[in-house]
Amino acid sequence: MKQRALWSAVLVVGLATAGCGSASDTGSSSGGSTDKLVVWDWKSGEPSAAPYIEKAKADFATKHPDVTVEFVAQPFDQYYTLLGAAIQSGKGPDVMLFNGGGQIRDRVDALVPLDEYVAEDKQRLAGWDAFSKDGKVYASPVTLQGHPIYYNKALYEKAGLDPASPATTWDKFLADCAAIGKAGAKCFALGNKEGAGIQFWMSALGSGILTAQEYDDWIAGKRDWNSPNVKRIFELWKEAGDAGLNNEGANSTAMFNDSFALFQSGKAAHVIGLMSDVGHWKDFNEFLTPEKLGVMNAPVVTAGTTPSLAYDGGIGYGVAKWTKDPKVAADLVRSLTSTGALQAFYADAGAIAADTTIDVSQAGPAAATIVAALQSGKPALHVALSSKTLDLMGRVSQQLLSGSISVDEAVKQLAASDQAG
Amino acid sequence: MRGGSRAERFAPYVLVAPAILIIVVLRLYPLLLGVNFSFTGDGERNGQTVGLDNYLELIDDPLFRTALGNVGLLVLLLPVAVAIPGLLATFIYLKVPGHRFYRSVYFFPAVLSPVIVGAIFNLLLAFDGPVNAVFGAVGISPVDWLGNPDVAMFVVVGVHIWATFGMALVVFLAGFATLDAALLDAARVDGASLPQVIRHVIVPGLSRTIAFVAVTTMVGMLTSMFGLLYVMTSGGPEGSTYLPEYYIWIQQGQMNRPALASAASTVLFVIMLVVGLLQVKLLRRAGGED
Repeated sequence: MKQRALWSAVLVVGLATAGCGSASDTGSSSGGSTDKLVVWDWKSGEPSAAPYIEKAKADFATKHPDVTVEFVAQPFDQYYTLLGAAIQSGKGPDVMLFNGGGQIRDRVDALVPLDEYVAEDKQRLAGWDAFSKDGKVYASPVTLQGHPIYYNKALYEKAGLDPASPATTWDKFLADCAAIGKAGAKCFALGNKEGAGIQFWMSALGSGILTAQEYDDWIAGKRDWNSPNVKRIFELWKEAGDAGLNNEGANSTAMFNDSFALFQSGKAAHVIGLMSDVGHWKDFNEFLTPEKLGVMNAPVVTAGTTPSLAYDGGIGYGVAKWTKDPKVAADLVRSLTSTGALQAFYADAGAIAADTTIDVSQAGPAAATIVAALQSGKPALHVALSSKTLDLMGRVSQQLLSGSISVDEAVKQLAASDQAG
Repeated sequence: MRGGSRAERFAPYVLVAPAILIIVVLRLYPLLLGVNFSFTGDGERNGQTVGLDNYLELIDDPLFRTALGNVGLLVLLLPVAVAIPGLLATFIYLKVPGHRFYRSVYFFPAVLSPVIVGAIFNLLLAFDGPVNAVFGAVGISPVDWLGNPDVAMFVVVGVHIWATFGMALVVFLAGFATLDAALLDAARVDGASLPQVIRHVIVPGLSRTIAFVAVTTMVGMLTSMFGLLYVMTSGGPEGSTYLPEYYIWIQQGQMNRPALASAASTVLFVIMLVVGLLQVKLLRRAGGED
């Protein structure tokens, strides 16, 4: 009897607490002391990033000799989970690394707008858009991330094509792919296991499919999912899959790094890769040699479009709202994006740095082509979408490849998700 | 004397207090916090009470429904997961040729971490991997093991069973140690065939062991397949291999929806509670029959 009373009491108290619906306190601040700054990232633990961190630390020490900086490298696959927990509790690092786009925009509530602190860097660095929301900047770009179409010049030669002039129209591209197929290679190395293949596809080819007006509207948030050109992106994806342009088993091939391995080993002639970190010119140069690696513009699908390179700020450092002195933390961000530090990052880690004044002529023709295309480049289409829509897009892209959904249905689902969030 | 009896009366409470406190402070209290949190919003509605909104969103989300459906599939596959180690243990007990060798080999996968097991099978089951190469050599068309939504979940469960059956096998062998060998001899003298021996002697004799293995295997399938899913399919293809655990992780870590993740956790907790209670009942009944 007594026991039962005790248990009901526990239950009542529990339910009462549950009913209250109090939640995490977003306003509390409790950062570290001003003489120590803690930085969270997933880069500083890598040996290739060590010179970059050294340069940045030295630069910061000249400005604030009395402030110590501690870098905490988190595992990337757990990074946003850990960061989410830190944000929920209102305690955590003073400065933190973010991927551009949705990952930072979803979390700007926890960040300090940096506009007043980084005004001087605005011209020198590129890629700010990916770290901005509602006209305010929340992080300074370190690298640029984008989606060039890489091609293997040796396979072009083998197929009897001119490696110096890759296709500029979609029809010519399909004809080239047929020739490459006859030479025994696949046209695209595609890894869509994580559902990321469609994101790369959309961004790399989008500028040849959407009109300039549609493109800008898309980035600005006015996305017309009923437009035939938007639908065309997904139709081409499906057609390429049905026509056997991709390696077999694309839905079970990991993009990182199985699809890149297919390209590097000469089993496929093209791959939509990255500019920084992995799956990029530096990796491919090693396997294919710099002379045999080319970067091409998106083929024109819709007449009258001007293809451009899709890129955004890749990773960047932001300042937490709970830090004691945002000015000091922002100075650290400025050191982390100084020309000297970024030069080291580009050279050792293999990245297209956000600093446009860095000379990349030593890195081979592919890197030079990419840097030359930055001027006319535009933000990537998929980066404008929410993580939720991207997740859905990954799944419907797999369904499109396996034929279990129609393009119309896929676009309808994506439109609903995009407009809901 | 009175004082002594009072101390005696309180002693048990004092002695169990540390254990109870640990359970209440580190288990029940966080659980209540989590349930409480699931009634609040995410993002712009952070901190506001939103009633059952998160739960309604879960019901609406086809991905969460797939995850729950896959839990149902795991329950259906449970007999297979129990029968395999049971049968193999029977063969070892009946001393098939090479049984000493098999006994150690069968246990080997149980010491590998799910990440390593997943990586091994990723290689084996790749579209251009060795399994499909063998298929091709004998004229069977290749199967996209991890890329076909109708196949992938069964593949992952199969690999999970492969990786964990060693432990259940050991439990079965321990159970066999308590089996009365005279019964087996008697059955043989009476001319019982192997299936008859299994059906009428071994299964009834091992009912407790079978129930125990069923409970632990079910718990294992519901709580420790995350590593395999993460490495082998990432919930794909087409979201077909989602389990509630994986869904919770995606919502919290990738989608920045901690409150929605809490709601999903609460649902998973309730499922585990129901499954657990059913299994306790099952264990009791098995014990009663003995």
